[in-house]
Amino acid sequence: MSTTRTRRGLAAATILTVLILAAFGAVALTGCGSDASTGGEASPAASASSGPITVTDGTGTAVTMDQPAARIVSLAPANTEIAYAIGAGDKMVAGTSYDDYPEEATSLPKIGDFATPNVEKIASFEPDLVLAAGGIQDKLRSKLEGLGMKVYVVDPKTYDGVMTDITNLGQLTGSTVQAQQVADTMQKAKDDVQAQVASAAKVATFLEIYSKPLMTAGGETFIDDMIALAGGTNLGATAGPGFPTFSTEVLFKNDPAVYIADSGSMGKPGDISKRAGFDVLTAVKDGHVYVIEDSLIARPGPRLAQGLQELVKMIHPEASAAQ
Amino acid sequence: MTRLARTSVWPGIALSAGVFVACLLVSLAFGPASLSLGEVWHFVTTGPVRGDLPNAIFWQIRLPRVLVACLVGAELAVAGVILQDLFLNPLTDPYVTGVSSGAALGATIGIVLHLSNLPWTTVLALIGGFATLGIVWMAARRRGRIDIFVLLLAGVTISYLASALVTVLMIRANQDMYAIVYWLMGSFSGRGWPDVEIALVAVPFMIAPLFFAKEMDILLQGEKRALELGVEVERTKRVLLVTAGVLTAIAVSVSGIIGFVGLVVPHIVRLLVGPGHRSLLPVSLLLGASMMAVADLLSRTVIAPNEIPVGVVTTFVGAPLFVYLLRRGRKG
Repeated sequence: MSTTRTRRGLAAATILTVLILAAFGAVALTGCGSDASTGGEASPAASASSGPITVTDGTGTAVTMDQPAARIVSLAPANTEIAYAIGAGDKMVAGTSYDDYPEEATSLPKIGDFATPNVEKIASFEPDLVLAAGGIQDKLRSKLEGLGMKVYVVDPKTYDGVMTDITNLGQLTGSTVQAQQVADTMQKAKDDVQAQVASAAKVATFLEIYSKPLMTAGGETFIDDMIALAGGTNLGATAGPGFPTFSTEVLFKNDPAVYIADSGSMGKPGDISKRAGFDVLTAVKDGHVYVIEDSLIARPGPRLAQGLQELVKMIHPEASAAQ
Repeated sequence: MTRLARTSVWPGIALSAGVFVACLLVSLAFGPASLSLGEVWHFVTTGPVRGDLPNAIFWQIRLPRVLVACLVGAELAVAGVILQDLFLNPLTDPYVTGVSSGAALGATIGIVLHLSNLPWTTVLALIGGFATLGIVWMAARRRGRIDIFVLLLAGVTISYLASALVTVLMIRANQDMYAIVYWLMGSFSGRGWPDVEIALVAVPFMIAPLFFAKEMDILLQGEKRALELGVEVERTKRVLLVTAGVLTAIAVSVSGIIGFVGLVVPHIVRLLVGPGHRSLLPVSLLLGASMMAVADLLSRTVIAPNEIPVGVVTTFVGAPLFVYLLRRGRKG
């Protein structure tokens, strides 16, 4: 049946396909250029306090370690940030492909990415403490614990919850003093912001996580908590917990005074005031449309303090200017 | 065949046009911002007013979104009719040609490269869709003929390949995973006039197949028979395949991948008006638009201010309706 023509046609199609494959493969692989070296040496625990340490993690589970962790694997960029901030960076033996802060974290060996951590790969670093995230990583816990690793899940729902995680991790890693300093800095940022907005009226605020479909930060998220701390009312909280989709019509109907778009983890929002129809929104008319760096509000780590200060400048520019 | 041709097609078309107008009006009248019917009528009569917020809810948010839904529904339904009848395969939907997966790959690249949402993701989706059509086309061409079965197989293969690439990109760039997943699920959220303009490009391609209704009727009896009856089989196939490909690519690039409409609307319409294309095509167009408008209405209102993914609604609405009609069709 098949003729030369057919074969030529098929061959051409195959070549085209292979070319396209190659092009996309190149795009796909650029992300994992730096994971060549494995098994980074960790220095032994510096401040070995005596007796077991027990803290309660984000899932309400007690995590007990006989001595401070010496080899830490982080499964989320936020956890990596916490580890470095509290001075446990030298104990980090591996992180994720998305660790971009602080600078040192980028050169850590990688266990893979956030959504698909590989148990064998994690185990190969022989960590004594694994810092996991909630949600998609829940199922990982029993597997890792079965292999003798301790797992602490960082899954805060509030700003204060992040501070708790930071002090807990300070205990688990024997960096209590520096962890307390980090928590104090976060507390001070919170107190300052609270003082600024104490007498100010609550401002209706919408926070866009993504535009197509329109998604927002709902209740029971630390973003919701931070909007409240910064003197705003989070419109997204009416759509339920987590990160729900949100009706554009309802957004318009409620006409928030401040519109903040998250930039980073879900792409860039583009020019919001130029979106069709958005010119009628009060936030657009008054120039209260802002873009905030994703890692400052969506990453439960020490930089939330900075995020909170950014938020109050957006939600209450007058109050933060007066200080 | 002659019996079919002689039956008047106009009552069916008029009835489905009525259904469409009703669905359109209901979709425009209701929404999560609960404008009253009086207000809606007022906005319709006054036209768009700059700076008036309730007016903008209707003219800038609701109306373009409903129009996009109607256009995408019509595009998918017409593409579904063409492909099911060309492939003589009832399980065919607009997505088997690989065009949608190619479009998904294009959109995914747009998302991963963080090009702002419009128009680049849409444009890349279009390019991906057309490129896939080209590849499948080349694979299926033999001795100047298009081999339908090779085309189907090549389409399915490319479809899997493109999906695998999307998965690879999703894992590599998992910061963008949610954006990609939401795109793949399909949605009309955030769609406005620019999307209407893109979807409108497909209108000539929705109408073109009507001029091939007779050829399509004859092709149902097989290519050999059609050749004997003097149909220019290859030319017809070429035109129809490109038409279906363009319709699918445009629909998918605007809305993402929304299932069920392209598969089920043609079947429902065959049960209602029979297989003759002079009514099957226009009635599918109108009912595809109607079904998508209603599905999107439910998607944006039922759990407002949240939204249900529209593909979930099309399935929940379409599946029971289809089963009911199938059973009724059997008895009749």
